Amino acid sequence: MAYVKLTTLRKIVFSLAGVALMLFAGISFYRIRHLKEPVVLGQGVTQVKKLSDYFKGIKGTINDSYVYMLEGEEAGGTVLVIGGTHPEEPAARLAAWIFTENALLEQGKLLVILSANRSATTVTRLGGAYPPDYTIETPWGGQKFRMGDRWSNPLDQWPDPEVYIHYPSRQELAYIDIRNLNRTWPGRPNGTLTEKTCFAIIQLIKEENVDIAIDLHEAELQYPVISTIVAHQNGQDLAAMASMMISGMEGFDIGMENSPEALHGLSHREIGDHTDAISLLLEAPEPMLDATRGRTDRALLLEGKDEFIVKAGKHGLLFEKMDENGWPIDKRVGRHCSTILQIIELWSEEHQEKALIIKNVPRYKEIIAKGTGAFLHNPATAASNRIKYE
Amino acid sequence: MFTSTQIILAVMVAVYIVAKVFKISTELSLFLAAISGALAGGAGIPARHIVEGAFTYLDICLIFITATLFMNLFKESGGVAFVIRGILTKFYRHKSILFILITFLLLLPGALTGAGSVTVLITGGMIAVVLNYMGIPKPKTAAIIFILAGLSAAAPPVSLWAMLTAAGVNMPYVGFFLPLLIPCILLALLTIFILGWKAKPANLEKALQELPASPRGMNWLKIILPFSVFFFLVVAGRIWPFSFPILGLPLMFIISATVTIIISPAKLNILKISRETVEQLLPLIGTLTCVGILVQIMTLTGVRGLIAITVVTLPLTAVILSMSVVLPVSEAVLMWGAAPVLGVPLVLLFNTIGLNPIIALAGMSIIWPLGDALPPTAIIGRLTKDTIGMKEPYSQMLKYCIIPAILIIIAGICMVLFSKELSFLTML
Amino acid sequence: MIISILYYLLTGYIALLIIWNLVKSKKWQEEILYIIILMPFLLRLFRLK
Repeated sequence: MAYVKLTTLRKIVFSLAGVALMLFAGISFYRIRHLKEPVVLGQGVTQVKKLSDYFKGIKGTINDSYVYMLEGEEAGGTVLVIGGTHPEEPAARLAAWIFTENALLEQGKLLVILSANRSATTVTRLGGAYPPDYTIETPWGGQKFRMGDRWSNPLDQWPDPEVYIHYPSRQELAYIDIRNLNRTWPGRPNGTLTEKTCFAIIQLIKEENVDIAIDLHEAELQYPVISTIVAHQNGQDLAAMASMMISGMEGFDIGMENSPEALHGLSHREIGDHTDAISLLLEAPEPMLDATRGRTDRALLLEGKDEFIVKAGKHGLLFEKMDENGWPIDKRVGRHCSTILQIIELWSEEHQEKALIIKNVPRYKEIIAKGTGAFLHNPATAASNRIKYE
Repeated sequence: MFTSTQIILAVMVAVYIVAKVFKISTELSLFLAAISGALAGGAGIPARHIVEGAFTYLDICLIFITATLFMNLFKESGGVAFVIRGILTKFYRHKSILFILITFLLLLPGALTGAGSVTVLITGGMIAVVLNYMGIPKPKTAAIIFILAGLSAAAPPVSLWAMLTAAGVNMPYVGFFLPLLIPCILLALLTIFILGWKAKPANLEKALQELPASPRGMNWLKIILPFSVFFFLVVAGRIWPFSFPILGLPLMFIISATVTIIISPAKLNILKISRETVEQLLPLIGTLTCVGILVQIMTLTGVRGLIAITVVTLPLTAVILSMSVVLPVSEAVLMWGAAPVLGVPLVLLFNTIGLNPIIALAGMSIIWPLGDALPPTAIIGRLTKDTIGMKEPYSQMLKYCIIPAILIIIAGICMVLFSKELSFLTML
Repeated sequence: MIISILYYLLTGYIALLIIWNLVKSKKWQEEILYIIILMPFLLRLFRLK
């Protein structure tokens, strides 16, 4: 009898410990999935649409993300900036945020998506030990953002197949990549949530007659496609020119690469193949993605400093330089902002009737000097009808 | 950062060893090593990371549970006994044909699912009985099944090591079919013919007498139907990927299990078999879950990076030569976690020095599964021993694995070294 | 959608089996292991992760 009681008591104690672990973790998972990220609509934002305005099939899903429209008084070209394809690459979302909260359009139309794969912003990578969130310091306090993952949340798309066959090329990809927004372009209307999201964005590109689609990313330093503009063949000249101009004028170097024709599902390939838009993808360096990184925490994410990766660089294993100064978030955000502006300026010079004139967006040097947070606006002092939550 | 991370690693190793000394199971020792790492790294008891790590292999656990449930139901329905009797009666005189047939039967389940354990569970048990009646001792039989299960997991179309590494370096999983298929088939045939060299044609009468009788009403149609359903579901997803719903392997196994239940001539106690299945798989699922937690904590504290940077900054000759030890050992400790921890930096390293990353990764992928026989996890090795009911010490099975393992390692390393010359295999 | 629901049902069924085995288990190490493997099944079932 005493033995039975002892084993029962033991089970209760173990179970309580398990429940405590689940409770603490569960609360953290829930909070992050429901964390609201405020977007203070800048004066330039004239309309806020949703992806379901372009494809009804995505209505009511977590990926029915906002599309911020900034329109100039004078007609011109249309550019789409896609942030949050891989939310674990925060400079991409933050650069898009800066455009949304600051840009003023005199001519043309700028469309910005901050959370292209919103589902992927609500989860963190298994085994990746990512922090659940990060805070960007601003003059009015800090603004908290969800860390996010590379793949859609399994709570929104489950199960995975045993192998992912890309539509329409039938190329076989890792099963997990069926939840990777940059492997599911051009998407399809009756596919998975991630495929439907790509399909919705493709519909947007077609309906809004987008001239240039720019997909923002970050990459590990051990990956050859880094600090570069990857261009579909329809955007090679523009990307090459931008690369040259940036290296000469902005204070940093960026390369240019052609989108491989045999690799399918990526935005730089499929947007160009399935729409009339010029398709470009920008990569900035993010040390926290490197497999050789040391301690994984918010400091690494935002400061980008890591001794192990410095050592990898000394052994010639990196495709981007890495020293004790690291790759702070301001540098990465600044690269994206300047590159987008240069691309648009070069395009506008060549296409007067389809030009875009954008003001009030900080460039690389200004973002490094003042910090990314200097360009995020205080939701507490903004009119309630000028705030959206991502 | 180096010294502090080295200290954390030392604490984790020490706690693991102490736990083993105190006769704590491998699974819990891994868990304790993870917790001690978090404490040593100043992260306290990080509930979020522990639970997130436990999620890493949830989908793979679901595959294991449903596949094993399917096989257990099939076994209880009398299907296994019927199949073995059938195979023996038909082919007992022709050793070579039987070996080729067995190779095919052992490679298929793992190739389709990416898990060697599915091979062990689905066909391993049945084939072990056939091999035993051919005069092959159990440890040798276990070695054959273990090695072929490992090769089946590496074989295309689904090779999780190649897929996870490819995904980790943003490389599409394309061009791997022949570089994985050819070595896997050749090495599997070599293994079965080397280890089964002394096998005799089975003594049919004696074997049939000893084998359990199959229940009345069992026939080939009832055997083939559940497997045909499974095979159809897998193939249909590939032939009509855009119109056939994504079922996922666990649901495919459940559908096949349902077919087995419906057509079984024997009455099956589903609840009891389900409970026993979970009990039977506790070590496997426990190991996977604890390894997930361990990898998460290693990443959190920087230990994972320390291991990766140490390996990739060795002189190149040392990197390639040490792969024969490092890859199986990383598999033994981290299982599929070895792909993101070591596979990713190694493939990037090979790519940097101009080797063909696809062939090199395929070569690594055939070496990795060997680690599944090694402690601390020895997960597929233990499963094989249990499934075929081997009573001899585990080391006897390992002894017979040595020759095929050496051949596999040589083949794998040659694929890395001559990856440029072999790049035609990718057909790209 | 239907397939996802089937997966939640499957997860729930396995969680129940794990709990049942936990209750019946007599070895303390096994009990801890059952609780560890139960965590992901329950949190998925509750749609928290």
